[in-house]
Amino acid sequence: MGLLRYTAGRVVQAIPVLIGITVITFILANLAPGDPVRLMLQGQEVNQEVIARIERQYGLHRPLHERYLTYMGNVLQGDLGHSIHRDRPVTALLAQRAGPTLMLVLSAYAFALATAIPLGIIAATRRNEPTDHVSRIVALIGVSTPSFWIGIVLILIFAIQLGWLPSSGLVYPWRSPDQYGYSGYPELAYQTIRHLLLPMIALGTLQMATLMRVERTQMIESLQGEYVKLARAYGVPERTILRKHAFQVAQLPIITIIGLNLSTALGGAVLTEYVFNINGIGRLFLEAIQSLDYQLIMGITIVIGTMFVVGVIITDISYAYIDPRVTYGEHD
Amino acid sequence: MVRKSPYVTRRRVLASGTAASAVALAGCIGGDGDDDDGDELIDPSDYDYEREEPDDEEAARQSTIEYTQELERDEDFDPIHSNDAYSVQVSNLVFDGLYEWDDGLGLEPKVATDMPDVERDGTRYLYEINEGIEFHNGEELTASDVAHSFMAFQEEDSVNLAQYEMVDSAEVIDDYQVQVDLAYPYGPWELQTMAISVVPESERESESDREEFNTNPVGSGPFVFSDFEFNEYVTLERNENYWDEPQPYLQEITFVDNVDAASRIGEIRAGDTDAIADVPNDDWSELEDDDGIRVHISESPSYMHLTFNCRDDAPTSDPDVRRGICHTFSMTDFVESRLPNVAQPLSAPIPPITNEQWDFPLDDWQEEYYPGYDPDQAEELLNGAVDDDWSPTIVAPGDHRGDLAERIVTRLNEIGYDGAQAETLDFGTLLDRTVYNEEPSPDDFQAYLLGWTGGPDPDAYLYNLYHESQTGINQAHFYEGSDSFHDDIAEARELADQEERYALYEGVMVEILEELPSLPAYSFHNTMASRDYVKDLHAHPMVQQNPRVVSEYGNVWTDN
Repeated sequence: MGLLRYTAGRVVQAIPVLIGITVITFILANLAPGDPVRLMLQGQEVNQEVIARIERQYGLHRPLHERYLTYMGNVLQGDLGHSIHRDRPVTALLAQRAGPTLMLVLSAYAFALATAIPLGIIAATRRNEPTDHVSRIVALIGVSTPSFWIGIVLILIFAIQLGWLPSSGLVYPWRSPDQYGYSGYPELAYQTIRHLLLPMIALGTLQMATLMRVERTQMIESLQGEYVKLARAYGVPERTILRKHAFQVAQLPIITIIGLNLSTALGGAVLTEYVFNINGIGRLFLEAIQSLDYQLIMGITIVIGTMFVVGVIITDISYAYIDPRVTYGEHD
Repeated sequence: MVRKSPYVTRRRVLASGTAASAVALAGCIGGDGDDDDGDELIDPSDYDYEREEPDDEEAARQSTIEYTQELERDEDFDPIHSNDAYSVQVSNLVFDGLYEWDDGLGLEPKVATDMPDVERDGTRYLYEINEGIEFHNGEELTASDVAHSFMAFQEEDSVNLAQYEMVDSAEVIDDYQVQVDLAYPYGPWELQTMAISVVPESERESESDREEFNTNPVGSGPFVFSDFEFNEYVTLERNENYWDEPQPYLQEITFVDNVDAASRIGEIRAGDTDAIADVPNDDWSELEDDDGIRVHISESPSYMHLTFNCRDDAPTSDPDVRRGICHTFSMTDFVESRLPNVAQPLSAPIPPITNEQWDFPLDDWQEEYYPGYDPDQAEELLNGAVDDDWSPTIVAPGDHRGDLAERIVTRLNEIGYDGAQAETLDFGTLLDRTVYNEEPSPDDFQAYLLGWTGGPDPDAYLYNLYHESQTGINQAHFYEGSDSFHDDIAEARELADQEERYALYEGVMVEILEELPSLPAYSFHNTMASRDYVKDLHAHPMVQQNPRVVSEYGNVWTDN
């Protein structure tokens, strides 16, 4: 089976998964107590006709199955619906919020990879030495501390006490410097990094800790492999062994974890965006749930679900591509 | 007037007009009588800062400010359709009201030259407006725009329609005079409802015009809508041709939001923003002690209440049971221990600041009717009225109102009602269980905690929270009342004579305090914090008026 066929197969397999996600989310969101229109108009003196008009406008007066089928029909045409609470197309809201979330998640991953891999290698090569112990403690703390807590502590230290970095918000590099009142692109780039640092570390710490533990374990295992012993016997320099033989093999599980941890990262982004006041999809999702904004909940779920499924497919394909031992499903 | 939702604080506004708007909270509180070392309640009047004037006026006119709101705006800046307090905070600076609030809850003329002439037993109002007012597009503001602003709620089927249903017609007499006829006298009209924001008719002629206008509004106010990024920021620039005095010092004001209180506090402490709204109780002292920060506070017309299920099948249909529950705890102690910096206990179904316009004898009522902490009396009232295994459920949102529910239940447990329980619910579930529940059983709830924010008129509280027509819309106590209870509330609403209204409301409020379909709990204050270089900022009682950056009572600039 070729790579293309394998990929197509995985995409086809993902379709029922995505349908399942939409059905479950739609039912759960609609069964949740509360009426989105009344929540939107709560406390106002409102005519029943106004409520009825809004319900008709959003099709809320129709049976659940009918609404679902209509909704899915629209989704297939690229229409993810209209936010009741914000009175805007869901696609427009997602387009606006996707940038900050992607920027946050990707930078968190970059931070995690850039720190976890070297630290994991160092810990593995200096096993049971003080460096190893410290790195394991750091990893343990990273894994067991929620991102929002790390965020609050970082704000307290670096924004409030030291005043080095801003406590909230992001600066978007795709915008014009004029929009922020900056002197030019160098300042825009500088401020982008300044604003990104704390949320990036807050969200990336968990990924970093997870990856570091795996990297360390895999490197230790790899360094004890027969092929490494053989290389050593041949007199291959230790640096070359590390780089060419042990390191490459040890990265396969890392790729898997990166793909699978995408959902964790997106989940962490919800709270990180809240703590750092970032207008991303995570915060939008939380607010959509609180206001029972059905179509927005559905739209975000579909996008996140799709991202996750695509992430898993890419992981599988990468895995198969990088490791020749992994096949596309044919029998030996 | 609007209820405060669980994830939001003060969200909606009752009426969309500049001065006529009011926001509501949801909540209620209670407390015990003897087990807390209560802190002293803050007196907002201690924070009435002196007026400030800049040494260098030119420098002040170069200054800008960033204000962080506590909730996202709905981004509806058209006063005809806007009904969230946070969009109104922005639009209030863009539009002038026909009347506007003074530094309290009194109205004073703005676009109008004076208070209106009243004819036809309070169903006809004649307004004269100032000449020479220009909208930001250069057109003159005329009587036609005022008439349009009154009628647009009906003509455009606005969600704010219910607040202007009594308007029968608005006719232009000449360029500077307009006559508004009401279908019936409306009591709150002169106190609140007539304070509409004046919008330019020419900018809102077609549906597409109005859509554009909603996110790019054109008013005649002290600031011009300048830049806007949906759900991110709104920037207003000073109107260099503003027609009225004082001219604003600020060159620019930017509104952003941060819904997370801890993060907002972090922002102001780190100096990442110039001013923030809504200081939580627990952060008040810390900010107050910070040399670089100044805290601001004002009483507000918010009203929290513990409301009982008065349906026949509920034990709480018995007024003795309701009073017995109220005697189990002390509201004052609860507020002193839980919310000493941001709230004050109530003694009547209207907040003290509302009463400033009316002067009802609240202190006497407190003494005579309000049920204080008296466990012996509570036991006496409840014994025999309910079974020993009585197990009432008090439902509340999961914030301080949940704490109050817990406290009441603890006190009930202490006097032997071990089955009493508090249930905290998310707001949607809470409303479904209570207010929108057509036939709530005693198992659904025997009391709930919610809140409301009105304005200077008792109608905002008494009609919406007590009149039978609002059952299933704003309340769910099903209190039948005396023969005249509901009629009096309705009648007072449709009377123009304020003295007659006073008499009717007095009777209604005394009955509420005697029969206790709900127990008035406490009123929240409006709070803000600013960096110390923000000058001449004063908190206003109406949340949608904050930050009031230019008025007779303050003209903000930054000195940094």
